[in-house]
Amino acid sequence: MARFLIARLSGVVLILLLVCLFTFGVFFVLSPDPAVQICGKNCTPELIERIRTNLGLDEPLLAQFFSFLGGLFAGRTYGVGESATHCAAPCLGYSFQSSQPVWDMIMDRLPVTATLAVGAAVLWLLAGVAGGLLGALREGTWWDRGAMVVALSGISVPNYVFALVLQYVLVVELEWLPFPGTVTFAEDPGGWFQNYLMPWIVLAFAYASVYARLTRANVIDTLSENYVRTARAKGLPRHQVIRRHALRPALTPIATVFGMDFAGLLGGALITETVFGLNGVGKMTADSISRNDQPVIMGVTLLAAFFVVVGNVVIDLLYTALDPRVRVNSA
Amino acid sequence: MAALPTQPAAAQESAPPSGAGGAPPPPRRGVLRALGRDPGAVLSAAYILLVVAMAVFAPLIVRMSGWGPYEFDQTAVNPDLGGVPFGGWGGAGGEHWFGVEPGSGRDIFARIVYGARVSMLIALAATALTTLLGVVFGLLAGFFGGKVDWVISRVMDFLMAFPALIFMIAILSALPAGNRAVLLVVVISLFGWPYLARIVRGQTMSLARREFVEAARASGAGRATIVFREILPNLRSTIIVMTTLAVPGYIGTEAGLSFLGVGVVPPTPSWGQMIASSVSWYSVVPTYFAIPGAFLFLLVLSFTVLGDRLRAVLDPQGVR
Amino acid sequence: MKSPVLIRAAVAAATAALALSACSGGGAAGNGGNDAGGGAFTDTPERGGTVTMLQNADFSYLDPARGFDGGVNNFYRLVYRTLTTPAPGNSDDPSEIVPDLATDLGTPSEDGLSWTFTLKEGVRFEDGTPITSADVKFGVSRSWDPEIGIGSPYARQVIDAPEGYEGPYRSGPLDTIETPDARTIVFHLKEPFPEFGSVVSQNSFVPFPEGSGAGDAFINDIIASGPYTLDSYSPGSSIKLVRNDEWDPETDDVREAYPDAWEFVIGLDVATIDERMLAGQGADANAIALTIQPATLARIQTPQLQERKLELPGVCTTYMGLNTTKEPFDDVRVRQAVNLAVDRAAVQNASGGTQLADIATTILPPAVGGYREYDLYPSEEHQGDVEAARALLEEAGLPDGFDMTLDIRSQPKMQAQAEAVQQALDRVGIDVELNVIDTSTYYETIGTPALQHDAAITGWCPDWASSASTFLPPLFDGRNITDQGNSNLAQINDEGINARIDEIRAMTDLEAANEQWGLLDEEIMELAPVVPLAFESTITLPGENVTGLYSSPGAASGGIDLVLVGLRDPERG
Repeated sequence: MARFLIARLSGVVLILLLVCLFTFGVFFVLSPDPAVQICGKNCTPELIERIRTNLGLDEPLLAQFFSFLGGLFAGRTYGVGESATHCAAPCLGYSFQSSQPVWDMIMDRLPVTATLAVGAAVLWLLAGVAGGLLGALREGTWWDRGAMVVALSGISVPNYVFALVLQYVLVVELEWLPFPGTVTFAEDPGGWFQNYLMPWIVLAFAYASVYARLTRANVIDTLSENYVRTARAKGLPRHQVIRRHALRPALTPIATVFGMDFAGLLGGALITETVFGLNGVGKMTADSISRNDQPVIMGVTLLAAFFVVVGNVVIDLLYTALDPRVRVNSA
Repeated sequence: MAALPTQPAAAQESAPPSGAGGAPPPPRRGVLRALGRDPGAVLSAAYILLVVAMAVFAPLIVRMSGWGPYEFDQTAVNPDLGGVPFGGWGGAGGEHWFGVEPGSGRDIFARIVYGARVSMLIALAATALTTLLGVVFGLLAGFFGGKVDWVISRVMDFLMAFPALIFMIAILSALPAGNRAVLLVVVISLFGWPYLARIVRGQTMSLARREFVEAARASGAGRATIVFREILPNLRSTIIVMTTLAVPGYIGTEAGLSFLGVGVVPPTPSWGQMIASSVSWYSVVPTYFAIPGAFLFLLVLSFTVLGDRLRAVLDPQGVR
Repeated sequence: MKSPVLIRAAVAAATAALALSACSGGGAAGNGGNDAGGGAFTDTPERGGTVTMLQNADFSYLDPARGFDGGVNNFYRLVYRTLTTPAPGNSDDPSEIVPDLATDLGTPSEDGLSWTFTLKEGVRFEDGTPITSADVKFGVSRSWDPEIGIGSPYARQVIDAPEGYEGPYRSGPLDTIETPDARTIVFHLKEPFPEFGSVVSQNSFVPFPEGSGAGDAFINDIIASGPYTLDSYSPGSSIKLVRNDEWDPETDDVREAYPDAWEFVIGLDVATIDERMLAGQGADANAIALTIQPATLARIQTPQLQERKLELPGVCTTYMGLNTTKEPFDDVRVRQAVNLAVDRAAVQNASGGTQLADIATTILPPAVGGYREYDLYPSEEHQGDVEAARALLEEAGLPDGFDMTLDIRSQPKMQAQAEAVQQALDRVGIDVELNVIDTSTYYETIGTPALQHDAAITGWCPDWASSASTFLPPLFDGRNITDQGNSNLAQINDEGINARIDEIRAMTDLEAANEQWGLLDEEIMELAPVVPLAFESTITLPGENVTGLYSSPGAASGGIDLVLVGLRDPERG
């Protein structure tokens, strides 16, 4: 087990380093000179040169990469003398456009994204697993078909289209919900819930659909496995068979996929937050992209990669704990 | 993935079709006949063919409908109300079948027809490139194993760990606008191929240990012969299913990137970009977003359904 | 009439032109405007309460030496004071410059090379220390710092400074500015500049205590001299202002400062802002916002919303610069042909229609001093004269047109405008390729002649609206073409124009100068280095509890002058 863990963790570190280097390299080559951006409208070549020197932008790629890595663990200082700015560890970079460390910017907006993500995850897990179970246990009935048609639509509808439809129906036509605004939980819990309801549904719909199909397929599969058949043959009641023997192995893959999806949620959050105007990390990323605020985009990319990679390891560990078959094998 | 499926949604839930290894693929005629009995598959195929026909014959169709995709019709919009189309249903009628774009008065029907070109072209090109990369690298890794496998597997891990959507947007927004269509294809494929390669690798590994491969090897067949004659044909159904299931993902990704403003360059019409520009008008002119939205939804749905049914037919023992 | 109250421009012709453009506006005009609502927008507010401003984008910088755009200039007036400043929006001529910290508009010496200003008594910073001439000197010297002085360039351009001077933190005090006593300040200029009284209204002249504001000190904090000071600031989401008790209203003829506090809610989606302003519920009754989206216009046709509709004229020109150094735009006939062929009505529709944009046939907008109406390239309904354009192209040896690349910003409205231009030029065989450039690098790119393509669409606003001296010279003085940060996009270097600019700039009589600027506008357009497209205006739906709403061409680039805004009932919301 320990060896497995060490091997796994060193792999993680390697991949994260590669992601860092790749992202850094791509942005280094592609993005516009940050010095030009800082310099503004009334710029002179000398001024650009000075900014470049101050920020170390004239150094070679690898040297810059190592100062970036250093900043990540020990913090770093941008510029020299009076105009220096310190960026405390973990320093994910510094946005010269908004004059803030990227880490602080992300942390400022993380609560909104976390609210969105957790709410949507709860919703999609419940709806997905319930829908899938319904389909599997009533295989072939109209319940099954209905659930699967909804799931198919959920997979196929782009979430920005769904968001607009939902908003048109619920807000404009039926007037059941207010137009999404900025309400905090402390101010008005009811308003806060109403505010997040549509974003949750939109973000959850596609995932719930995938989970419903996955759950249905897995449960049907497990139910036909020998040990389940044996359990039934022993005379255990159906609901007990399902709960004790079928559900757990059927849901293990769900846990795997869930970990991956939750870790990679930032992509979906980006569109949902943009469409509903929620001021979270996703919207900040979209805004940074339209402003070409390179340090922020890079910081978010790295953080997202970190979530995915670490998420994978956690899943692997959970997987061993969850699935009896795997547990038997490793014991 | 919910937002912009970079990997095909359905592919994620599919374990490698277990039938692929052993039994020879069912004859093509049988597949078509089986699909022909399935109303869902027939409807999906019909809609896909319709969109393909729209894309191919776009100039002809537009000549019939009377308005080109770039032509402004200032008489169709009301300059005193921010350019809202005259008449209900977004100005739909005999002149403009699906109405007009607010502000410019461009014909939405013509833009849908030409938008189909962009969507199909990019999605199909990306699928072709992804399939090529996925099959080649999957075969290489699975067949040779060892160091080759290690390197390819690590590259795949790396690409799959990447927040692909964010990165795609970032790359596309930083690159000069130049030829966005090609860039889109390249970027989508770059992050798409590992999902196919992973499955091809697994199946190749198990196939390579099969008796008939051993037999071929014993009879002195070269590596190339074994790969192309023995292994590849047995992967056919897997590749077909995975590919069909990948197309809707790429259509969605292209539309999503265009929606976010990093897709094809204006004034080239694309469904995603049409939806993006309709956002601010959705409560005033609902048809403006409903029409491209419906076309896009139906296309993705059709490919998903068709892929599902194909898998059911080609791989009866696989996941339902 | 569109909004006659807001525009009592110096030149009578301006009002006449507005009447004309309002006619083309058709039925919608006359419903809004300031008189229609029975003075609804111009009631005198009560003291107290909090006014909220909803906006999409954050302000560029809190530091006035760094920020330099219409939005932030308006904000600065709430917290900072300068020697002079644009007149408040409710004055007879809101384009004119009036004294602020100074007692008058300054006194030039005989030779026009030195200007003396005297500070008012009783002006103080937020900590209670008096504002002295040394503080003004220190504040303006910051604009020589290469990293801080990235805002208004006028101080550096006009005031004499030692070679290689780089601001107070690097090079020490700026000795060319004299402060004989605590209330007197003397500036020495490189050459005479009769409008120097307007130059000192720029943000770069905000006073700061000596030694403050080094590095990033003013990125998240300020030292207020105006009626408000910073309560809290979280970049990208909110700014809260509270009263600065040290500000003495007796010393200030410009700012009313009715509300006790301001809250700027930032980072909202434009559609969200429109929805909230339409609803106007709860605290949003105390809110104001920038212009609404074209799509929202169709939704404000109800009488209640029409009553809340506030129209403000534009002071900026949206235009397409034609790069005269590139073929075939080196040929004046081709440039004239493009001016003739462009469908300005289509561009107007792309900009939001008649309510949100007026058609531009001149370089100067009506609200800027010197505006004179003319149309050298007329066409029916402004849809373009294809025949005349073809004839000119034929004369220039291009009967089949040509290919060109147009630089545009990746922003929906600008893309729509560019598509309208593209479509119109297609009629005469000109094939336009759109080169979409990222918003953050757009101005840097088109301001670098080496990177510029055949043409670019952009806008220009006056830095002060009392004359055209911040409009025509930056755009058309051929001696100012620089390798970077170039504003003469056409890169036109015409001796005639240059000489006229010198001649008019030296005139000490503002009214006479403005008349000449107006003539020069037309003289430039005969050479057609640019294609004026539209004057984009503002329509907004202020919350019903907000009043004191006037436009300021100088301080707010045509937006609502914040220093006059207040609430009818401070207890509400």
